[in-house]
Amino acid sequence: MSTAMNFGSKSFKPRAPDKGSFPLDHFGECKIFKETFMKCLRDNSFDNAKCRLQSKDYLECRMENQLMAKEPMEKLGFKDLMEPPPSQADGDTKP
Amino acid sequence: MLFQLLRTPLCGSPAVFSGCVRSLRCTPCRTLLHKPPPQSRGLKTRSKKTRSQEEEWRSRNRTLLTYIAAAGVGMIGLSYAAVPLYRLYCQATGLGGTAVAGHDADQVETMEPVKDRILKITFNADTHASMQWNFRPQQSEIYVVPGETALAFYRAKNPTNKPIIGISTYNVVPYDAGQYFNKIQCFCFEEQRLNPHEEVDMPVFFYIDPEFDEDPRMARVDTITLSYTFFEAKEGQKLPLPGYSYS
Repeated sequence: MSTAMNFGSKSFKPRAPDKGSFPLDHFGECKIFKETFMKCLRDNSFDNAKCRLQSKDYLECRMENQLMAKEPMEKLGFKDLMEPPPSQADGDTKP
Repeated sequence: MLFQLLRTPLCGSPAVFSGCVRSLRCTPCRTLLHKPPPQSRGLKTRSKKTRSQEEEWRSRNRTLLTYIAAAGVGMIGLSYAAVPLYRLYCQATGLGGTAVAGHDADQVETMEPVKDRILKITFNADTHASMQWNFRPQQSEIYVVPGETALAFYRAKNPTNKPIIGISTYNVVPYDAGQYFNKIQCFCFEEQRLNPHEEVDMPVFFYIDPEFDEDPRMARVDTITLSYTFFEAKEGQKLPLPGYSYS
């Protein structure tokens, strides 16, 4: 929240997330994937580009455990990590 | 009296008086010929004159009233049109933190990462004074490029013996970079309940809009800070989602 009390100047307006809120992982079902991801980040000096596979795994774990709405990974920006399936690509690309 | 004198030459009476008058006032006499003799009509002519004048005034009033009415209607219409026009203006200039046009969910699928522009995202976690959770980020910073989706984690622990419901909001600095910071999914703006002595991981899935690289105002921005603050929520309290959704 913006603490600047100067009216008339632009103040930060938070936006709701596109796909809503993550349900909390109360049972730690995806904790292993998270640990793998964090370890990868620490090993690569927090470079996100190198740990995208682990983040994709974490999100897939979430989807499997009903902690996230199921969506094709391309829509979450992981299309470069998907191996192009031989004949299904035509049906999957456009929703 | 003057008109009376002039009238006699019209009738053609050969009085010296009239001849004198004729020589002296020939031209005005001729001009008067074309005008309707005012004297004989008397009241009628005056009323005719005032009647035509009245009509003229009336028609002038009517046009004036029409103009005023048109201006009034125009003002009302303008005040109604101002709402979408202002919204368009805000979108074009990014005033008031409104989302810049071109920010839609389908972009995630098609955007290309801008590989040569590396940005450092630092994370900050705060709690309200009365909020007893331990809330902290699990990484101090992460290096991303615009157009690439990234995942980050926070951790929250409830050290007390009773369940606490928290609700969070976020802030992005620098302010202008905030409009390029898009969250796909996070844990904010919804009540999150933590049972006693429970600890959870809270992910944030976000990306920086690739247009960030093309904005000249962002040319020297290398660090963006994402700051989350947790507040305690009362049971059953429903907060409206912030912002005005344009998509």
